[in-house]
Amino acid sequence: MRTAFLVEELEHRYDGRTVLRVERLEVREGEVLAVVGPNGAGKSTLLRLMALLEEPTRGEVVFWDGSRLSAMTRRDKRRLSREMAMVFQEPFLLNRDVWQNLEYGLKLRGVPRPERARKVEAMLRTLGLEPLARRHVSSLSGGEARKVSLGRAMVLEPRVLFLDEPLTNLDLPSRRELLGLISDMVRERGITAVYVSHDHHEVLEIADRLAVMLGGELVQEGKPDEVFRRPASEEVAAFLGAENLLEGRVVRRTEEGAAILVGEAVIHAVTDIPEGEMVKVMIHPEEVVLLPPESSSGSARNRLPARVLEVRETGPVARVRLDCGFPLAALVTSTSRKDMGLEPGVSLRVAFKATSVHVMPYSSRSRGE
Amino acid sequence: MAVGEIWQGLVEACKLIARLDPYVVKVTLFTLYVCALATMAGMVLGIPMGSLLALHRFPGRKFLVTLVNAGMGLPPVVVGLFVYLLLKRRGPLGFLGWLYTPKAILLAQVVLALPLIAAITMAALQDVDPRMVLQIRSLGAGRVRTALTLLRERRLSLLAAVIAGFGGVISEVGAAMMVGGNLMLRGEPYTRTLTTALVLEVNRGESVRAIALGLILLGITLLLVWGLTLAQQGSVVGRALRASLSRLGSWKEGR
Repeated sequence: MRTAFLVEELEHRYDGRTVLRVERLEVREGEVLAVVGPNGAGKSTLLRLMALLEEPTRGEVVFWDGSRLSAMTRRDKRRLSREMAMVFQEPFLLNRDVWQNLEYGLKLRGVPRPERARKVEAMLRTLGLEPLARRHVSSLSGGEARKVSLGRAMVLEPRVLFLDEPLTNLDLPSRRELLGLISDMVRERGITAVYVSHDHHEVLEIADRLAVMLGGELVQEGKPDEVFRRPASEEVAAFLGAENLLEGRVVRRTEEGAAILVGEAVIHAVTDIPEGEMVKVMIHPEEVVLLPPESSSGSARNRLPARVLEVRETGPVARVRLDCGFPLAALVTSTSRKDMGLEPGVSLRVAFKATSVHVMPYSSRSRGE
Repeated sequence: MAVGEIWQGLVEACKLIARLDPYVVKVTLFTLYVCALATMAGMVLGIPMGSLLALHRFPGRKFLVTLVNAGMGLPPVVVGLFVYLLLKRRGPLGFLGWLYTPKAILLAQVVLALPLIAAITMAALQDVDPRMVLQIRSLGAGRVRTALTLLRERRLSLLAAVIAGFGGVISEVGAAMMVGGNLMLRGEPYTRTLTTALVLEVNRGESVRAIALGLILLGITLLLVWGLTLAQQGSVVGRALRASLSRLGSWKEGR
């Protein structure tokens, strides 16, 4: 796949404060890259710099046609920005009717009236907004307004679509619908999309790759499941809402990795971290298997006796809090919870593979900052 | 007694207006002409100036913003004095020979209207969410188009700016008096406006004419405020007004 954007050593400052520092980020043509991170992580700034809406303090962005930000005339910028479109969290509609909003960008591009009408009509159909064509935007619902905002960008047939928190503050059905529309349109048209969100759940359905930003820096990028399974640091794990994030110490190296003392138990994990080092470990709750206390079946490397502390039903899945020498959360279906008679106080055995344990270096934050 | 006199004056003044007294009509028309021209000149200069100050960052911007804001409170007499000093025979612009001509009034009124229009335009555009500006730019609008689109978005505030400018110049007397001289030329008002004429009539003890001129001035002001209110509140007339304003906007924007 060709490269749509290559961001290099990009830095941006506001009032003398560095709000963004990205060493390298590549966006490939036709992919959906989700940029996630808490509020104030620099996501929107990154988006604006890539969309040529702001000038970086320093650094380079190379665009799909090979042109470089540092050596760009105003004319080049205009040409490139006409191939990009942006959708913000707020719809920011013009104080006109729906049709005029959809038409706005086309008008600016000098598209002749008949062609404009054809494109706007097609977009209204795609969005299911035909009956609202002549409605003034002040009478639209929140969901409808967001659709118009999306349509206003998509009708320009952009090569690149930037989405800055497009679903935030919408009710659930509207979110679903809008995400579906975004996803369908982007895929059908082969558009490169950069999707910024503070909510990583939101983007999992649509993202080909995930980039995590924290404190103005890009801390990890990769396939979504990779990032979730193996967060690069404790901070990333914490942002992604990782459960079973525990402190430990490598007590000895083993054939397949290391034995790590966590709480009062020793667990086996795959890692290169040398003996004696403090580490953070993460055990995915969905990979923890609950077994009867006397069971010896299965091939999981880690098997520990445990006691149920609490069981919480959350619909079809139950969340079980256990003590196995350290606190551990596990997920079971509600049916197997009943079959196993899981109640607080019950003793059993937990099993998980060495590969289900993700080991991270002990970071500065854990050292009590 | 005095109340009776005022009442009588009012009645007589109404008769004078209803009769279309030639003197009163001529002074009114001249005033409307000069003030409209001054307001238009103020718009032509003030709207771009306000937009520039609101939407762009450049060195010296803060100073200009302060200047424009301070200009909103300029005492007309001081403006009159300033323009007088510029235009008097030995002044820097004395060679123009504008002093005691309508051009002098026009110049003084532009100086008065310009900061009003620029400052209200600036305030209206600064009110816009900066992300709205980015949104418009991201749809492909350059600097000028962005400003035009935003001005169209804030057209009611712009209307307020224009009305403030017009209201400011039509009601001032100090500058017009000082640089215009309140002259009649061959029976026609040459530099005589409603306000300067009113002052003269009062000095002459002609209360009836003074009241008539005052009523006209008041009427024009009320009409303006009424128009603005309608446009803002969305009545039938207001909608028509808004529609024509937005046509004006699309004319500027479309190609």
